[in-house]
Amino acid sequence: MQELIKAHRELVENEDLVLPGLQSCQGCGAALAMKLALAALGPRTILAMPASCWGVIIGGYPYSALKIPVVHLPFATAAVAASGIRAGLDARGEKDVEVVAWAGDGGTYDIGLQALSGAAERNADILFVCYDNEAYMNTGIQRSSATPMGAWTTTTPSGALKQEPKKDMEKIMLSHYVPYVATASVSFPDDLVAKFKKAKTIRGTRFIRILAPCPPGWRIDSAKAVKVTRMATQCGIFPLYEVVDGKTRVTVRPRVKVPVRDYLAAQGRFSEMTDGMMESVQSWTDVRLKDLEEAEARS
Amino acid sequence: MDSRKRSRSAHKVDFKSWRDFTPMNTSVGTMLHNLTGTWRYVKPCYEDKTPACQNACPAGNDIEAFIKLIQKGDYENACRHLKCEEPFPAVLGRVCFGFCEAACNRRVLDEGISIRELERFVGDHGSPALRFPEPAEEHGKTLAVVGSGPAGMSAAYFARLLGFRVTVFEKEPEMGGILRLGIPAYRLPREVVAREFEGLRAMGIRLIPGTAVGSDIPIERILKEHDYVFLGTGVHASLPLNLAPGAPGPGILSGLELLRKTALNEPVDAGPRVVVVGGGNTAVDAARTLVRLGNEVTVLYRRTMDEMPAHHEEVRDAQEEGLTFRFLASPAGLLLYENGRIRCVLCREMELGPPDRSGRPGPVESDRTFELEADTVVSAIGEAPLFDYLGGRLPAENGVLAVGDDLRVHKIEETPAVVYAGGDIIDIPHTVVHAVAAGKRAALAMDCDRLGIAWPEVLEEIRTGDGGALSFSRYRGLPPLNPVRMNLRKVVRHEDMVTDYFMEAPRVPANRSEADDRRNSFAPVSRTFTPDQALDEANRCLHCGRCTECNNCLVFCPDLCVLPRGDGRFGYEVDYDYCKGCGICSVECPRNAVTMVDEETPVDLYNLITPINENFP
Amino acid sequence: MKQVIKGNHAVSQGVRLCRVQVVSAYPITPQTSIVEEISELCAQGKLDAEFIKVESEHSALAAVVGSQTAGVRSFTATSSQGLLLMHEVLHWAAGSRLPIVLANVNRAVGPGWNIWADQLDSLSQRDTGWIQIYCESNQEVLDSMILAYRLAELLYVPVMLTYDAFFLSHTSEVVDVPESGEVDAFLPPYDPLFFLDVENPRMFGGMIGPEHYYEERYKMHKETLDALFRFPEICGDFKSRFGRSYDLLETYRTEDAEMILATAGTITSVSRLAVDRLRGEGKKVGLMKIRMFRPVPAEQWRKALAGARKVVVIDRNLSSGHGGVFAGEVKAALYDLDRPPRVYSTVAGLGGRDVTSEDVAGIAEHFLEHDDKEPLYWGLKKGEPCRN
Repeated sequence: MQELIKAHRELVENEDLVLPGLQSCQGCGAALAMKLALAALGPRTILAMPASCWGVIIGGYPYSALKIPVVHLPFATAAVAASGIRAGLDARGEKDVEVVAWAGDGGTYDIGLQALSGAAERNADILFVCYDNEAYMNTGIQRSSATPMGAWTTTTPSGALKQEPKKDMEKIMLSHYVPYVATASVSFPDDLVAKFKKAKTIRGTRFIRILAPCPPGWRIDSAKAVKVTRMATQCGIFPLYEVVDGKTRVTVRPRVKVPVRDYLAAQGRFSEMTDGMMESVQSWTDVRLKDLEEAEARS
Repeated sequence: MDSRKRSRSAHKVDFKSWRDFTPMNTSVGTMLHNLTGTWRYVKPCYEDKTPACQNACPAGNDIEAFIKLIQKGDYENACRHLKCEEPFPAVLGRVCFGFCEAACNRRVLDEGISIRELERFVGDHGSPALRFPEPAEEHGKTLAVVGSGPAGMSAAYFARLLGFRVTVFEKEPEMGGILRLGIPAYRLPREVVAREFEGLRAMGIRLIPGTAVGSDIPIERILKEHDYVFLGTGVHASLPLNLAPGAPGPGILSGLELLRKTALNEPVDAGPRVVVVGGGNTAVDAARTLVRLGNEVTVLYRRTMDEMPAHHEEVRDAQEEGLTFRFLASPAGLLLYENGRIRCVLCREMELGPPDRSGRPGPVESDRTFELEADTVVSAIGEAPLFDYLGGRLPAENGVLAVGDDLRVHKIEETPAVVYAGGDIIDIPHTVVHAVAAGKRAALAMDCDRLGIAWPEVLEEIRTGDGGALSFSRYRGLPPLNPVRMNLRKVVRHEDMVTDYFMEAPRVPANRSEADDRRNSFAPVSRTFTPDQALDEANRCLHCGRCTECNNCLVFCPDLCVLPRGDGRFGYEVDYDYCKGCGICSVECPRNAVTMVDEETPVDLYNLITPINENFP
Repeated sequence: MKQVIKGNHAVSQGVRLCRVQVVSAYPITPQTSIVEEISELCAQGKLDAEFIKVESEHSALAAVVGSQTAGVRSFTATSSQGLLLMHEVLHWAAGSRLPIVLANVNRAVGPGWNIWADQLDSLSQRDTGWIQIYCESNQEVLDSMILAYRLAELLYVPVMLTYDAFFLSHTSEVVDVPESGEVDAFLPPYDPLFFLDVENPRMFGGMIGPEHYYEERYKMHKETLDALFRFPEICGDFKSRFGRSYDLLETYRTEDAEMILATAGTITSVSRLAVDRLRGEGKKVGLMKIRMFRPVPAEQWRKALAGARKVVVIDRNLSSGHGGVFAGEVKAALYDLDRPPRVYSTVAGLGGRDVTSEDVAGIAEHFLEHDDKEPLYWGLKKGEPCRN
């Protein structure tokens, strides 16, 4: 058989780090992201979790769906609290436990950005994971600076769709000269698992942003969550790459390519985009892809 | 991990006092008590379906299963799975038209699977004596089969498996019908046919060659001495070429006759320049045979290659062997020497016009002609059955026997014999696999007749896909290769697959001999795949509609509800306590083996099929 | 060993003696030298701690929340705007039951930028669940650091110790700095009840519904109130080892006082001088020093003040729209007495304006003669306005 997915091995090896009974919606990309990430990271992992969907998904007091230590934190503080946990673990001599900040796009791009920048500049030895569903989904689909151009949200409703392009979080992280920055997708599990495993071997601030679909927020059928996310990479809007010590490498070159338009048309949140906007997005995507290719060529 | 245990280990705490509360807001248990399965309204069900190849196969061969067994290196079982639906893979692998390949979903990705090469491989590697399932216990009913071609042998084979006592009457000295006397040895070696027939004989089927029903044994006796009769006498009469001047004389041969003589090593008076008229397999077979006998051969066909009934591969091979094809040409007349021998064929150029009865563009005469020098003309424009042996006992219309949906011809009043017919003598396409399918259908029908089961009800249960193929396995209640629920009727086509998950890989080419070598002998034109080649090609199969335990469902379930069944058991189970019915598993299954069904549908994932005749009293 | 050190230095010595393992702070005048000194101690190897140099105070406390949850003794220090910025995390730390110690230099709240002594910064955090201790001298600051860790780790309640900007932070006083060994005997290593442990994985914090929140908060409140019993016990142990006495409050010459002044911070020191002078003049005036402010030692305040007819509370803070914070709290505590003394409120010294012993004596004399219902804003410029 020539299957493309091998990640089931890690999933079976590290099964039971996540147990069902999750409070996530049907088809939740964040739940899938956690499952895959923990399969790669293993049980000697501690999560620093600010307010986000996972703050609810994990369950309410006194129950937890995760079999690893997790501490909930004020919204803005994921990166710095993680940095503190790391200092504490180091003081206790527990060097082989990984500290992971697990934040949504709000806790990364917006309210959490300052603390993240501080931690990154200090090269704090943490793995910062942003599971990006492209809006403040937990509070009911409000726009964030990670919301893409043209998207409907409750604060960018009909007639006032988000005009601004999505912030480039990887470039922001790279401006701090951290040793590892990567994008990952729940639709490419082997790539995601490989990146987490690699991140574990690096010391300093590591940043991985996972594209995690949200069926209610993206206005898609829950069954299509993985497919639509795959299209994001196949159309070039969400390329999969990593930058190790400043050297860029594209890690997945999808065999199947789709036009940006198809990706946008597959989601209700883009249903009011004009043709002009779609063309903007296509050319914006083309420019960024070219940048990425050039960055890789220079590396 | 037995998922059934997970919800059992759920517990909820009930703090009675503020003192019970944990310091530092810490958790004390899991979320297993949160049975999120109550949220859903549809649920996933592992359901194997019929792939496009099996759907296209007139015999309904379980192609996916036998290929999977090749991948496991289990050639014996691969052979068994094929032999559940057709009697001789070594034959069909060499001569079948390959409707399966034309429908193969992989064509959309890169190239379709060489299914026939794999079938041939399995036929050559599985022992011919192998029969699966074991023949049922004899129930005393008898079947006489008239004609040992593919239709008759198929009826004999399946009837034997169903417990009939079978006798096959063949008028020619050698068994096999068209397999032995119609298809040239370079396509279907005699040894292969003989090997398969040995296997059939070893099953307990009585084979009686050199005995013509009609002349050696009157049809009355057959009808009287047997409970059931199957007529598979095939085609023998070539349609005549109506060429001026007058009746054909020396130098005009029938294609069928030519092939028969060659097969029996009888001399053929033809050539050295021969014109073969026709576009079907008989024409091409006759032409290539003539080439091997040292002649210079031209084939005249009144339409183009696109409309030719013959397989394009045959045409290509023939051209490589030195045959010339003149398309859009039809013989208009013969120019003779004084002694009556043919000097040349007068040919008329044709054009394509509007579609005719066959659905293809009709040939339209132009006013241009040309001459082809030739010594012999071979007529291969069509063949018809001969029904003299029936002595008028059974009705023939338009040159074929009229049969019902169950292929029954007639119940004869004076004798209890129920008569069925199949193959080229009924109105079905003239291919070996259609004949095989007919034989199988008749055998199943006669078993239903024997048991008093209504045929339409059985059809409902055993139809495969949306064509006319029937599943013998389903009739006998044989478990499918994957021990999961099987929906035979649902067909999986390429648009139902997620080809994103597959990598491109080139098709393994057949081991064809060089054209020069081929044209000089009747040795087989290609060799069977080696085991390595078979594995490489089998590995390209996408297993459409059938679970291969690829783990996509397990990997992509956000709620950890897809678990391997474990303990060496096949497949997965869904933890319905928590499954939210999101549908991701179904959409991400690359091969459409997971169906979302209504929540109310009882899902017994592993209810294996029980035999039909145990369901009916 | 006796040294002449500034208040901020007393704090950093306290951090060293308590063997803190993780420090995180952001500089703000007048806390900065704490931060600088701790950096030096770490660099010199005198303090085996990691100092996380964060980009804001909100992050500073969050970092320490992280390290303390990981089971390690941690510390932060700030003042004024920084404390205000930490507000969300102050609530979080207390609710998480983390025994963090925070040193806050009491500095005025902006706008405008006033860097001098004022108590509103810490007082406006009084609902966050932190134990609050108000210090009068650099010795007290150092001793309170040590007492704070012992108390915090006993109760799993964080402790904020406060002292006045510049009057203590940047003023040198004689401080008897204990030896490490002595402190180790008094303050054992932190042995947390729960911490982030991969061998015993749990979730900390998280969603909590109406069916559980009440009890968790009640438990926190109840266990914080225990400080009223545990602190005196701890102080007793401290006295036996180090010879210095501390308690929930202190009284000075209150036995037969008709009027008792209530003060917190450095105003207390000059108030002692004022009391002596007034006593010298035959006036029966005493002083209650507010040390522990949260939890409220209401019972102890009542006992200390019940005998007087008048209580004058001097607030170096003004809660806009309300008045002096200490005055309000003292009044509320005394309400339960059958015949509570009258409480008079004075606001003085906001934003670092000096309050001398003459000022305190003047305040006392004013209330000896008057029965103002309105608070007295001592020193407020009340002349004819020169502008309309």
